[in-house]
Amino acid sequence: MTALLNRWRTLVWVAPAVALLLVFVYYPIVENVRLSFFSWNAFSPHPVFVGLDNYTTAFHDHVFWTALWNNTMYAVVSLIVQVGFALVLAAVLEEFVHQRLRGFLRTVYFIPATISITVAGILFSFLYNPQFGLVNRALSAVGLGSWSHAWLGEKSTAIWSIIAMSQWQSIGYTAVLFVVAIQRIPREFYEAVRVDGAGPVRSFFTITVPMVREMTTLLVIITVSGAFLVFNEVMVMTAGGPDNSSHVLNTLLYRSAFFADDMGYAATIATVIFVITFVVAVVQLAVTRRRRVEW
Amino acid sequence: MSTRLLRGGVAAAAAALLALAGCGGGGGNGSGSAPAPQLNLTGEKSGKLTIVTKFADPQYAPYFVEITKAYQAANPKVTIDLQQVGDQPYKDKIRVLSAANQLPDIYFSWAGDFANKFVRAGLAADLSSVIGPDTAWGKTFAPASLKAFSDSGKYYGMPIDLDGKYLVYNKTAFAKAGIDNPPATFEDLLTDCGKLKAAGYTPIAFGNQYGWPAIHFITQLNAYDVPGDQLAKDYNPKTGAFTDQRYVTALQQFKSLADTCSNSGANGLAHEAAQANLVSGKAAMQYMESLEFKVMTVAGGAPKETADNWSFMRLPPSSSAAGDTKALTGAPDGFMVNAKSKQAALAVDFLKFFSNQENASKMVKELGWLSPVSGSVTNDNAFPQLVDTLKDMNEASQFAIWLDTVTQATVADAYLSGVEGMLSGDKTPEQVMKGVQDAAAKAKKQVG
Repeated sequence: MTALLNRWRTLVWVAPAVALLLVFVYYPIVENVRLSFFSWNAFSPHPVFVGLDNYTTAFHDHVFWTALWNNTMYAVVSLIVQVGFALVLAAVLEEFVHQRLRGFLRTVYFIPATISITVAGILFSFLYNPQFGLVNRALSAVGLGSWSHAWLGEKSTAIWSIIAMSQWQSIGYTAVLFVVAIQRIPREFYEAVRVDGAGPVRSFFTITVPMVREMTTLLVIITVSGAFLVFNEVMVMTAGGPDNSSHVLNTLLYRSAFFADDMGYAATIATVIFVITFVVAVVQLAVTRRRRVEW
Repeated sequence: MSTRLLRGGVAAAAAALLALAGCGGGGGNGSGSAPAPQLNLTGEKSGKLTIVTKFADPQYAPYFVEITKAYQAANPKVTIDLQQVGDQPYKDKIRVLSAANQLPDIYFSWAGDFANKFVRAGLAADLSSVIGPDTAWGKTFAPASLKAFSDSGKYYGMPIDLDGKYLVYNKTAFAKAGIDNPPATFEDLLTDCGKLKAAGYTPIAFGNQYGWPAIHFITQLNAYDVPGDQLAKDYNPKTGAFTDQRYVTALQQFKSLADTCSNSGANGLAHEAAQANLVSGKAAMQYMESLEFKVMTVAGGAPKETADNWSFMRLPPSSSAAGDTKALTGAPDGFMVNAKSKQAALAVDFLKFFSNQENASKMVKELGWLSPVSGSVTNDNAFPQLVDTLKDMNEASQFAIWLDTVTQATVADAYLSGVEGMLSGDKTPEQVMKGVQDAAAKAKKQVG
């Protein structure tokens, strides 16, 4: 009897949170999936059921595949820079830089992460400006004027220019998180490998990398999920142009919904984004359970 | 996450998807035919009006605030909820409000298919009985401006301003390049670009970062090169096909103009950044809206040498143009009244107040915009070029409405991205038109 009462009490306490989750998280997801089976727009009196037509359209839409490719490249570059380089940067900061300078450099690296993404986007639009931008001027100054581009205005460079800006903004943030993880590693481990004759590189790979793997896993998840949710920087800098070459899934979704008046197709893209991020999260959570660091 | 929980989640998701398979249609806005709200005010003016505009820009917003305050001061029992957002956010906001059946009593609209969407969905009140060209209020407007918001002989909007697209040029640059008269044909323009380049100027300052500046050129060239009946057929989403070869001709002309006259890297340069080159005297021309003319004046921030030495001309047509060479790219912006508004009569009364002679003149003076209200632009409240612009607009045979608003959104999008690709050298004019034709076929399917 007491057990039954406790169970009811638990349900009462949990119910409000569950209700909020259902209304604000799960219902919109389900409703979005439902709407992806319809052809409709904000002005259409009668949404028309089209089955899997929107998914077929996406499959044959080269802009959709361009956007998916761009998201994937965003994720790959972000993994290399925001996880790989950031870990090296953090290790160098902790290992080689003098205590006083360390704090200063950490602040310097972290500052870009505190700037609004819109402000950073506008700032880099100026840097990439083909007429007076710093990037082209700098290239000319060192005799590489032939490398000058309209960075945001050419199909071959637009998305890479945006990805580069994003790395500039985020590497400091992930590096600081790695610094925290490295500081938690007992110093005895490093002293032990040093006694055994290991140099800094060896101790980085044998001590630092394995001991920060929880943080690495977390940052991999955050970085990959973030790469598939990217929107602001692309919208501010190119709005997906030129010729749709720098679209990512979120900007394509936005364009479909609010420019092309095709809400059904936009819901389809949203469903694809949901599936990708859901799969990434599930895989990540499963991997995390197996990689817990204990000492 | 435990395995059991994960399994539960997957099962729930599968169940939800199965349930969805049986779901029927969703909501919507009801009938596509516009109801007929009461438009004539009877009794005392009272109640609450909601208005949404796209004029949040600090240069323009205060004017609209002042007008609403003045109306409330004159009618103490009326309250107005005025919401102003930026250009792009407005496009999002109005769609969300439409889908949610929460349209304000008065809302902004561009002319063309943007306005027609509201008409087709039954969200725009038929204002013919109060603003038709034969009505007392309608007679106060330039007829062409009213026509921009008409569909099938019915009038759905009140024009706010008049906007036309012109090549603004620096007279000093033309003189230094030895150009005595503005070019009369498209071919002459290309020749003059060579002279301007030789004189050290960028002939046409061109920034196309978001695609629309190029589309304004194409709007004008389409009007010049394609006969009017063909254009009307193709711009209508129900009949559009865009198979006429002269659309390709228009794109080819634009490509030669961009290659010969404009700066490089246009896709990576904002229109406003390019404009700085004209204002500072480094470029000789820019294709500019008359709403922007104020930037060429001292009051608008231009240096005196520029402000004292500029004029404007229309983009000249090709000598072989087969369309309407007297058409002018541009259109009025407008306000529409919600067909389902319970305050439609009060909304019309407010719009009459908004467009009275005094307020129209105030708009010309304070914002530097041309007003469609007859007699509102004078030498006292407008700079000389603005007065001349109005004269030129009156000589235009018709407005060629912006290509990105006159066509259905899918078609507009194909044009925007295709022309960007053409400018960057990745697409030919034929490939751009193939994309437009595919988009037109899709649009036809969408509107049924």
